[in-house]
Amino acid sequence: MTQVAATTLRHRPKPKGWWRTAAVLVVALVINLPLLNAIFTSLKTDAAIGTSPFSVKGGFNFDHYAAVLGGSGYNFPGYLLNSAQLSIGTVILVMIVAIPASYAIVRTGFGGNWLLEAITSLRLVPAMFFAVPFFLIFSGLGIYDTVVGLILANTFMQLPLALLILCGTLRDVPAEVEEAAAIDGAGPYRSLFSVVLPLLAPGLVAVGILVFVFAWSDYLFAVILSSSGAVPVTVGAAFFVTSAGVQWGNLAAVTVISVIIPLCFAFIAQRYLVRGLSAGAIK
Amino acid sequence: MSTSTTDRVRIAPGPARQRGPRSGRTNRNPRAQGTARWVLSSPLILFLAVLVAYPIVNGVTSSLQNHTLLNPTPGWAGLSNYWEVLTDGSFWYSLVFTLGYTIVVTAFELVLGFALALFFDKAFPGKKVLLSALILPIMIAPALMGIMFRLMLSANIGVVPAALDAIGIHASLLSASSVIPMLVVLDIVQWTSFTFLIFHAALQSVPAELHEAAQLDRASKPRYVFSILLPLMMPTIFIAGFLRAIDGFRTFDVINVLTAGGPGIETTTLSIYVYKILAGGNFGLASAAAVLIALIMLPIIPFVIRRITKGATS
Repeated sequence: MTQVAATTLRHRPKPKGWWRTAAVLVVALVINLPLLNAIFTSLKTDAAIGTSPFSVKGGFNFDHYAAVLGGSGYNFPGYLLNSAQLSIGTVILVMIVAIPASYAIVRTGFGGNWLLEAITSLRLVPAMFFAVPFFLIFSGLGIYDTVVGLILANTFMQLPLALLILCGTLRDVPAEVEEAAAIDGAGPYRSLFSVVLPLLAPGLVAVGILVFVFAWSDYLFAVILSSSGAVPVTVGAAFFVTSAGVQWGNLAAVTVISVIIPLCFAFIAQRYLVRGLSAGAIK
Repeated sequence: MSTSTTDRVRIAPGPARQRGPRSGRTNRNPRAQGTARWVLSSPLILFLAVLVAYPIVNGVTSSLQNHTLLNPTPGWAGLSNYWEVLTDGSFWYSLVFTLGYTIVVTAFELVLGFALALFFDKAFPGKKVLLSALILPIMIAPALMGIMFRLMLSANIGVVPAALDAIGIHASLLSASSVIPMLVVLDIVQWTSFTFLIFHAALQSVPAELHEAAQLDRASKPRYVFSILLPLMMPTIFIAGFLRAIDGFRTFDVINVLTAGGPGIETTTLSIYVYKILAGGNFGLASAAAVLIALIMLPIIPFVIRRITKGATS
């Protein structure tokens, strides 16, 4: 065993390859140019923005951030609050539905493979197919343009991914652990909450972060199911493009703030994220 | 094994799991299990009934009615809404545009993502940080990405037109003649990250011995990639391709933010087509168009589902 390890070590290319670092760095810069450019623009003065994309006249400051967070022109803090409420609400509702359901599916064989496959296929149907009846139903129920309505729609959207990840994780938890708990007299609920849930932690973190990020990213449901009171940042940001022209600096600041918040979460849990994204292999 | 899967994701063909739902059950107390399965799945059942089954019925029903903003108590309209959509030239234009767009971006993203993952699959300094940077675009809301593209491409303040201007190319990037290639490039800029991530994770599970054995047999690097690696990665390539294609097919956010389907109907995807009808207040017609789009997607779904759920079902 140690011999094999030693041989593979010797064959592995030496960790030089700075040219490879440089090449990958160029690719990374190109695909992140939109964000870098938005940050750059948001820190410039209006005069510099108006002069040229390369101008840094007047240096850098946080005036645009202060302006949009102070609510100048549009209620950006309100949109941020809506986004936070709808994302956190979606995470909670997804957990309430998906945790017990994944246990029922994996451990008691509920619905067989058929149920999970049917729910996963929901994710592949164009969201627009559901957005139209959601609009009609929510209007009838009086939850059009409310955060509650957006939470319901986003839970629908994120549930398949959550179930997929949780069922996959639960299948990796050995059933013997629960059998031992059952011998000690724990019923199915007790064993779910005291024994299984702690073991599911990595899957739960992955689900929590992914659902938060994707609910925050939703635009299609937001644009159809909200008009003023429940508008999240993805829709509200575009309001800074007015008929009187575009407030470029403010627009850039609004976009950067809206992008950075979910990115922070994503970075904290990147390890789980890569796993969740690729294990579910579905976004 | 469970610790190693944290970093090394098994997507490429791995040993099939032996444990089925039957052997995974804890059958100590059958009666408690019997009620527990219904109690535990009740939130899911309730949710599926209210937010899946009912909306489907509602959507199909209203597609058969003359339901508009001005006519809130609709009567039956038979298949006239479907007829209206199917005889609408812009529906067919949107369908062709969406299909073409989907095929082109998916092809580019698969090739570029695979090449990048292959290039990345070596030891080099700063690899971890660069991985974070490469997958960052996946975490950005497409609608916000659309706004950032706008900041970058604007003829007034954009850095890209200014840079092109400096080297003597004077192009209006979002004008009728260049908007479609532009949107393709933008989709590639954001979503090559996704195919890269999938391929990167899959390459992790390819045993190093495979490359060594190929080297011993004096197989050239291209020979190794095309004759060994590509066939081995085929299931992963299939999955990544279908996931991108499905997302491409329902593209809405970025294009709606950037062009709202214009100029004219030039960049109207099927989702934007439905949205325009809905925004116009013709709910029956919008439902019929939405049902038709779902029907187009339906035949390919079973193929994809089997592969996606492989790890999570037995």
